[in-house]
Amino acid sequence: MKNGLLIFSGAFATLALSWAGVVLTANNQLGSLTQYKDPVDDALYPAPLTGLANQGRLVYQDLGCVSCHTQQVRRAGFGSDIERKWGKHQSVARDYIQEMTVLIGSSRFGPDLRNVGSRIPDADYFYKLLYNPQTKFAGAPLAHGMPAYPFLFETRPVGSVQSSHKAIKTTADGKEIVPTARAQALVAYLLSLKDSYEYPEAKPFVATEKKEGGH
Amino acid sequence: MSSDKNNSVEQSGASDDSIQQVHDKLQHTKPEKAVGYSAFPLVLLGVMCTLVFFGSIYLVHYSAHFDATIYNERQKPRSGAAEIITVTPAQLGKKVYAQICVACHQATGQGIPGVFPPLAGSEWAVGSEERIILIVLHGVNGKITVSGKDYDNAMASLGSSLKDDQIANVLTYVRQEWGNNAPAVSPETVAKIRAETASRTSPWTAAELLRIGK
Amino acid sequence: MARDRAEQQEIDASAKWPVLVFFGSALLWLIIGGALQLAASIQLHTPAFLADCEWFTHGRIAPAAQNALVYGWGMNAGFAFALWLMARLSAAALRSAGWLMVAAVFWNLGVFLGLAGILGGYSTSYELLEMPSFASLLLLGSYLMIGVWAVTTFSVRNTEKVYASQWYILGAAFWFPWLFLVARLMLSTSPVNGVVQSIVNVWYVNGLLNLWFVPLALAAAYYFLPKILGKPIYDYYVAVIGFWWFAICSACSAGSRLIGGPVPAWVATLGSAASMLVIAAVVIIGVNLLGTLCGNFAKAQKSTTLRFIILSIVGFMLAAALNFALSVRSFAEMAQFTFIPELRDWLLLYACFSTAMFGAAYFFLPRVTGKVWRAPVLISTHYAATALGVLALTVGLVVAGWKQGHLLNLSDVNFATITNEITPWLTYRSVALMLLSIGHLAFLINFVWIACPCCSPCTTAATIKNPPEMEAHQA
Repeated sequence: MKNGLLIFSGAFATLALSWAGVVLTANNQLGSLTQYKDPVDDALYPAPLTGLANQGRLVYQDLGCVSCHTQQVRRAGFGSDIERKWGKHQSVARDYIQEMTVLIGSSRFGPDLRNVGSRIPDADYFYKLLYNPQTKFAGAPLAHGMPAYPFLFETRPVGSVQSSHKAIKTTADGKEIVPTARAQALVAYLLSLKDSYEYPEAKPFVATEKKEGGH
Repeated sequence: MSSDKNNSVEQSGASDDSIQQVHDKLQHTKPEKAVGYSAFPLVLLGVMCTLVFFGSIYLVHYSAHFDATIYNERQKPRSGAAEIITVTPAQLGKKVYAQICVACHQATGQGIPGVFPPLAGSEWAVGSEERIILIVLHGVNGKITVSGKDYDNAMASLGSSLKDDQIANVLTYVRQEWGNNAPAVSPETVAKIRAETASRTSPWTAAELLRIGK
Repeated sequence: MARDRAEQQEIDASAKWPVLVFFGSALLWLIIGGALQLAASIQLHTPAFLADCEWFTHGRIAPAAQNALVYGWGMNAGFAFALWLMARLSAAALRSAGWLMVAAVFWNLGVFLGLAGILGGYSTSYELLEMPSFASLLLLGSYLMIGVWAVTTFSVRNTEKVYASQWYILGAAFWFPWLFLVARLMLSTSPVNGVVQSIVNVWYVNGLLNLWFVPLALAAAYYFLPKILGKPIYDYYVAVIGFWWFAICSACSAGSRLIGGPVPAWVATLGSAASMLVIAAVVIIGVNLLGTLCGNFAKAQKSTTLRFIILSIVGFMLAAALNFALSVRSFAEMAQFTFIPELRDWLLLYACFSTAMFGAAYFFLPRVTGKVWRAPVLISTHYAATALGVLALTVGLVVAGWKQGHLLNLSDVNFATITNEITPWLTYRSVALMLLSIGHLAFLINFVWIACPCCSPCTTAATIKNPPEMEAHQA
């Protein structure tokens, strides 16, 4: 291979082939997926994230939660995601079309969060978790390996009459710990994580013929 | 080459120029062996062919024809037209019922005793379809006997807020739910009756309704 | 031969300042990135470490460490090596070195701003593309200056023949900016819809590791083996097939990172099929490199550079094996979200690429600076720490990942149990990372001595002997 031009063309073709084959084809198939209209109740799924939950997504991104948590439920029979009640059905491409930044993640140091809003519909739990995951609940810490996020909360003296209804706890010396706007947004986002609709493509496939060998 | 342990600089074994010259010659000619021939090219060819063969089989077998809606690699793509999801009129009627009728007649169709008549097991529901279409279109007032019990209440007219097919669907639902078994109501019938009674503005009474229809 | 020597000296002298600036900044980022990586590793088994400070929360430090090591250490070291080697093999001096140093400054500025952005909370959350847009513009701009220089050096070459290392460097020089630009356009500038973002992301990560870092490591191996041993590459006539086969197949193997994910089945299948096909290229490269070593192992063991290159080849093979395993669905089902894919990426970045760069540096730094290494004992320390650290981390992460994956797939095992099971291995991993850092510090000390003008004594021309001509036949 003497010719620089030959190497250049070959290298260009290699990358172009991989881009066209992998990225472009996928984009053609999935890039313009639209919401699915349920034939019975005429509603469109998935619904977009709104308001506080959308801001919470930005907090999720900025704190880098994606480095330890995934947001993808694998199908029944492939791993134990469905058995662990992390979702009722597998995640498909349509579940993510309303998300500005798709955060499916690649590491499960912590549990999958795709349906955490339907699994734990309790804002108080999340506040306690974020403030100090080592808080004991029924004898065990809420989350074993997770870092704390005390900077998402502010400690301030209790107001003149009573402590704020948002306070997650009051300390012994008359101060209360209140979630900041970022914490509230993040919790709203977490509570919004529910993939409740099962699209036709997400229905599990039951093999009728005998199982082939192979992978 | 002197040992590197005590020497602090690496010595070269060949000049750059000779590396390029020698390798350029080697690129175009296979090395000569003293005896026989090298098996490597054949082995390599064999390895490459085997991998391409198995790789292609794997690709064809598990890619579901590059279908965009198949997420399980063992699933075969559907041949022919896509599956049409059919929705029955009763299912659509159930939606209407849940939005409008359930407040009084309840989800169980039992109504509230003494206040709102039941629809489950009601002779009105499974009887003349003309009567119930008129009830939904214009409402009904005053005393009415349903399943042997008396009721005296007012039901609003829904003819302006529901379309013909919605009325047909909800009546079909009512006539086939909770053990009721009566023929479905078609939107054409509703349209016909609506046109015939277009001038009616006030709700019906039970007596008037019993005189109409069979 | 005297003419040859002078030419080489001229080339090396012309490359001195760009190489020193790039490599020096690379080492700086290696130390900084290594420290961030160590902190992130410690946080996994001791979550309270640095948790109070928002800037150092785990979700920010972990990507910051990765970006520092990839763009700070990896790219800078790659630039230093590629520029020097391209100049050598083109027998053309590096001209206008000043521009390269300007590019170096902007590159490092870009990395610094990018890291500040990540730690400050402006991460984009895309793996290895977390740097905010302003930083990546700087990076792309500087790269164009540097890449153009490598290519123009090649195009004004004084040699007729083009050697394997040059193919790999040219390939890498071309592939990176396109990967980076297209990925950033499709993710940040004009984001694609839904899961296509994830597909673009894995395409980029796979491309960066297999089409930039591995080619540079292979360029080093293909050059230093014949250079130091004085013997040609074994069965060199298949090297060109290996190059193209590796490039094409590994470029298409990105999809295997999304097995089981919310993408149609064909995406993952295509990636897995390509990962299978890559084996042929790995066989070819293995035959080339290991075949050359065969019979010359004793000689290779005496050479610092080749000891590191051998580590690099081992790292490459391990990574290829792990990549193949991970493309098999049944293995991926268990190993997918554990440390094992992380290990595969680390093997490519560190065990394959970084070791090759260390080996290369031990060869070219004395030649560009005209000095000798002051402390051979630090060289041995560096090598021992690297070899032990790579072994320890590989074994540790495979075991931890296996346990983690096995337990993750048992639905009745809760996360507390899983975390308890793998915590000892995570501690062990932090220790291994510390060991690697000791090696880096040893290297840094030697580097400062050799680079600093007032420190080491100058070498005389006699210390670096004239290389003999290579014999054409193979032993």
